[in-house]
Amino acid sequence: MAMTAGSTPRDFFQASAAGAADHELRRKLENASARHLAHFAEVRGEFTPYEDERTAARAIKQEAIGRLDELLIDLTKRLEAHGCKVFFAANAAEAREHIVKLAQTSGAKRIVKGKSMTTEEIGLNPALEAAGMEVLETDLGEYIVQLRREPPSHIITPAIHLSKEDIGNLFREKFGIPYTPEPDELTAEARERLRESFLHADLGITGVNFAIAETGTLVVVENEGNGRMCSTLPDVFVAVMGIEKVIPKLADLPHFLEILGRTATGQKLTTYTNFIQGPRAADDLDGPRDMHVVILDNGRSAMLADPVLREALMCIRCGACLNVCPVYRHIGGHAYRSPYPGPIGSIISPNLVGSAAAHLPFASTLCGACKDVCPVKIDIPRILLHLRWKETSGPTPPEWPAAARRARAGARRFARMARHPRTMRILSRIAAAILKPVAHDGWIRRMPPPFGNWTKLRDFPRPRPRGRRAVKRQDAEG
Amino acid sequence: MAELHKLVATLRTALEAGTSEPARAQEPPAEVPLAHDAYRAELVTRFARELEAVGGRFLGILTLAETIARLVALAKNARMVAIGKGVAIDTGAIAAAIDRAGVPIMRTAPTTDPEARGAFRDRLARADMAVAEADYAIASTGTLAVLTMPSRPSSLTLLAPASVILVQIGRIVPDLAAALEAFGTDTLAAHRMTLITGPSRTADIEKRIVLGVHGPKSLDVIVVWPHDD
Repeated sequence: MAMTAGSTPRDFFQASAAGAADHELRRKLENASARHLAHFAEVRGEFTPYEDERTAARAIKQEAIGRLDELLIDLTKRLEAHGCKVFFAANAAEAREHIVKLAQTSGAKRIVKGKSMTTEEIGLNPALEAAGMEVLETDLGEYIVQLRREPPSHIITPAIHLSKEDIGNLFREKFGIPYTPEPDELTAEARERLRESFLHADLGITGVNFAIAETGTLVVVENEGNGRMCSTLPDVFVAVMGIEKVIPKLADLPHFLEILGRTATGQKLTTYTNFIQGPRAADDLDGPRDMHVVILDNGRSAMLADPVLREALMCIRCGACLNVCPVYRHIGGHAYRSPYPGPIGSIISPNLVGSAAAHLPFASTLCGACKDVCPVKIDIPRILLHLRWKETSGPTPPEWPAAARRARAGARRFARMARHPRTMRILSRIAAAILKPVAHDGWIRRMPPPFGNWTKLRDFPRPRPRGRRAVKRQDAEG
Repeated sequence: MAELHKLVATLRTALEAGTSEPARAQEPPAEVPLAHDAYRAELVTRFARELEAVGGRFLGILTLAETIARLVALAKNARMVAIGKGVAIDTGAIAAAIDRAGVPIMRTAPTTDPEARGAFRDRLARADMAVAEADYAIASTGTLAVLTMPSRPSSLTLLAPASVILVQIGRIVPDLAAALEAFGTDTLAAHRMTLITGPSRTADIEKRIVLGVHGPKSLDVIVVWPHDD
């Protein structure tokens, strides 16, 4: 399945229905989520009050986003003083073209990559492959989905939709090795194969978790050691980051590292935290000769300009909101058709990936679990509502299917009506009278067209209009 | 774990001496004065516990002579052992002892020659054990903080399947914030630095934890007591 950034509401509907009907997928997601939540529960209560850390981290991000302009200048000045070449990309195409050009001018043939959602966002791999380069994803999960020619389905655990048996079969098929479903043996096989690639790659690419303006340091967090390999062994290293990754001071960093490790993978600290300030010194034994930093806007400054949406720039991409989201857990990451699935993805995808993802804010029950778990306390439901409002307040796009147009027109009529309590009351009594014969034992199980689609998936209780007094009493209380 | 329990018992006895623990607000300096025995003991205990929790092995608090003996024993079956330059410890003595035991060794030396650099990497890729010294150890997370310097390359703690890291006892700090403060902004603006918390690991297959993906499969840590008395 090729990664198409965004799609139509109809695609989403079909993909999510397929995901929800795939009991095997749901079992895998439930398993993984349960194990994740258990890891998280083990570490969240430890020694630093978790709530205090969340509050502190949020305050720092708020400051950082408020001073994004000056912080980016500081960061760039320092990175350049350390010998990095910094490039600002206004959009995905600029970033892609720049990195392809870098690879071409440095004569790179073999490229190794650490896990980076930002490079998925800009569609970097297909562009490099089209330019004739070999691109290898080296994070184990990314490696697995790349072998399947699939996009990742989770921002922390890219192969969360696959069982160990699936992966055992994949390795047998691709490498001609005997089948084994043992994670240890599968991991050892990948280690063996990727080690050679690391030693012979010409260019390494990783994302960035935090960029410290004060010191001009890029912080790359990972568990496997592949990020270290990508940033240390090849002669040319390219780091790709969104503008929102910058934080003011070195002393701010511990707050984020503590919450990121805990919420992303249930660790007090991820195994490797790499502080990268520039290329190697003249007499260093390793490190890249040339280091490039690509700082990407691609819709982020537009998010900054929207006072409600701005908050979403605080996201540290921990994936916690995916793990608790009932929608994500039912349909899986692929249904979103975006590198950023789940609740936070439904907010940022329409802005970073484009209008093709405009329907995603509607793919939520607004249950609020994401807001509760978010380590920087982003009010995701509020932003989802804001995006829904933005999306629906304009004229209906003519390319919408007729059914969707009718549904929206109906909803708008209902909204107008609902503003007049007396009309509303009269009409609901009429509706209740009409529906009464359709109901059996207090439930409506089938309705005539065009309402039949509603009852296909669920039953409704028979409406029981309350007397005028009950309504009045509630109005007075409300 | 047996070594850890023995240490914990020793440390508990030490703690009963009644030296009071400094308040959390008073950040200790980079080198904790040797006089603060109980405080230091608590840091080591905490560090050891956290290190073992992430799959590392705590080999104990050893004098330099004991450290050398232990490393020679660890290196016994190695085809090649890489030894980096120390921070506060003289790793030359370690290299000499392993060499005397008949195990091939390789040392790190700064170079500006691209060919020498390539040759170094190719040799290092064949080493099955690498010894490095950390600048600091972080008690609250069981983490080692290692700067990259001309004769202390980052790949020293990355490529070999068995990673052994030494740290001087006075260089154990309570938490990450203290470690970053000890390095200071100037040092981190000039050098790469890696925080290492346990052996390389993944949970990408069904969220099951597997150690030793791309980096070291094992991580052994020796806390070095600075005197042989």
